Amino acid sequence: METINSEIFTLMYGSIVRQLITDLEDITEVNKQLDTMGYNIGVRLIDEFLAKSRTAACTDFRDSTEKVAKVGFRMFLNTTANVTNWNPEGTECSLVLEDNPLTDFVELPEGCSKLKYCNVLCGVIRGALEMVNVQVECDFAKDTLRGDELNEIRLKLISEGTEAYPFKDDD
Amino acid sequence: MVCYNFYIFNRQGTCLCYHEWQRPKSVKQGAGTPSDDQKMMFGLFFSLKTFAAAMDPRTENKAQLGGPLRIGGACTFHSYATNNYKLHFLESPSGIKIILNTSPEIGDLRDHLSTIYGSIYVEYVLKNPVYMPGKPFRCQYFIGALTKYLQDCRLT
Amino acid sequence: MERPRRTCAETCLELLSLQIVHYYAGQNQAPLAASTEAIGFRVGRQLAERCTWDRPRLVDQLDVMKFICKEFWIELFQKQVDNLRTNHRGTFVLKDANFRWLSKLSSDLPAPEKADATEQNAGPVANDSMPSRPAANEAAQDYLHLPCAIIRGALTHLGLPCTVSADASALPACDFTINIRAG
Repeated sequence: METINSEIFTLMYGSIVRQLITDLEDITEVNKQLDTMGYNIGVRLIDEFLAKSRTAACTDFRDSTEKVAKVGFRMFLNTTANVTNWNPEGTECSLVLEDNPLTDFVELPEGCSKLKYCNVLCGVIRGALEMVNVQVECDFAKDTLRGDELNEIRLKLISEGTEAYPFKDDD
Repeated sequence: MVCYNFYIFNRQGTCLCYHEWQRPKSVKQGAGTPSDDQKMMFGLFFSLKTFAAAMDPRTENKAQLGGPLRIGGACTFHSYATNNYKLHFLESPSGIKIILNTSPEIGDLRDHLSTIYGSIYVEYVLKNPVYMPGKPFRCQYFIGALTKYLQDCRLT
Repeated sequence: MERPRRTCAETCLELLSLQIVHYYAGQNQAPLAASTEAIGFRVGRQLAERCTWDRPRLVDQLDVMKFICKEFWIELFQKQVDNLRTNHRGTFVLKDANFRWLSKLSSDLPAPEKADATEQNAGPVANDSMPSRPAANEAAQDYLHLPCAIIRGALTHLGLPCTVSADASALPACDFTINIRAG
């Protein structure tokens, strides 16, 4: 896997967030765009993840989230996340990032307390999982940049799909 | 040893890419139009996959014939050969399906198809800035890299 | 002293840069060129600062250019510039025979003969499309604002305010022309 100095990525991401704030002038809208951008990245990223990790197929949601946390974060961001806080039904969990390269040397300016700086990660996870037919909702629940003690992404399983023949008969 | 042609489908059934190196029997003589050719190919491997999984004597909770399948599920076929050609098949958990038709004497190409998926499709298609996910593409870098890889492996 | 070097996959940067261009190309609020240039300019300044803080100040114009062509280029693009030319009056041409950020740009899209299934089954993906363009070098223009601005930002930080333009008519080769502002 080709790697770069992650400072470049961190700086680029920071500069993008700043530009979106300038151009959109609305933090909610910035959060939304970061998520959309992440989604579009996830849709492309998934095949590289599957190919390079030689992942055949995830058995269930629990397995998928473990792979995202342990293999995905390691492969692309050179960090790992822990999967915790499962609900009893096994449909919701948290990814806790101890070390988040996106926020290296970042401080939120004033007036940005609602900014979900790393929302791109939620989009990436949502987009990538959707491509393997796992629909999730994803939210940046706790953020060290906003004073929380850790970074926590909350994942909620909406559905796990199967593959049906995409055409009608006689189509 | 000959490679005839090559397809990539996504899980929506869209043929993202078709390329042929040699096709002695033209599409016109076969399915008629490229579109029908691609649809028939999709139907062929989809049915084979479904039947193969339904007839699996080993897996306990196996799929009902015609029932929904998990993408990249545990049981799938990798190739079939006729006296005239061999079809090699790879499906990723994201539902990308790669088909390569070769002459029948060629051995197991599973590793080759994995390389085509992971090192050629991922690099030259997904990282091509102007590629739009889900849409058919014609990408000369991709076809170039694919052809070179098959040549380097002495498959064509 | 060697700085501790943290790495991440190059894919992250590639896909992020691609998305930002697609985003600004697909909306009307802010122009693509101005916004991506502003993004790149900041990155160039900050990156140049991080690459040079622990070394003696580069005084000579040519030393600055050599730094850009070697260390800075390697940091960003994993290779050196292949050829540097100057007219000795403030214009420099940097030739990269295989410019990494556009090395995968192949614009012969979309497929000319569409299968019937494509339109209604295009997939769930939204907001990730560029209008189709006839030639690669034309499509390349949208993606060149970012690297040009990074180089401009770096040179500005190193005391050489300038303009940077790029010519990608012979991809994967790319020429960057730098005009140092007098004064």
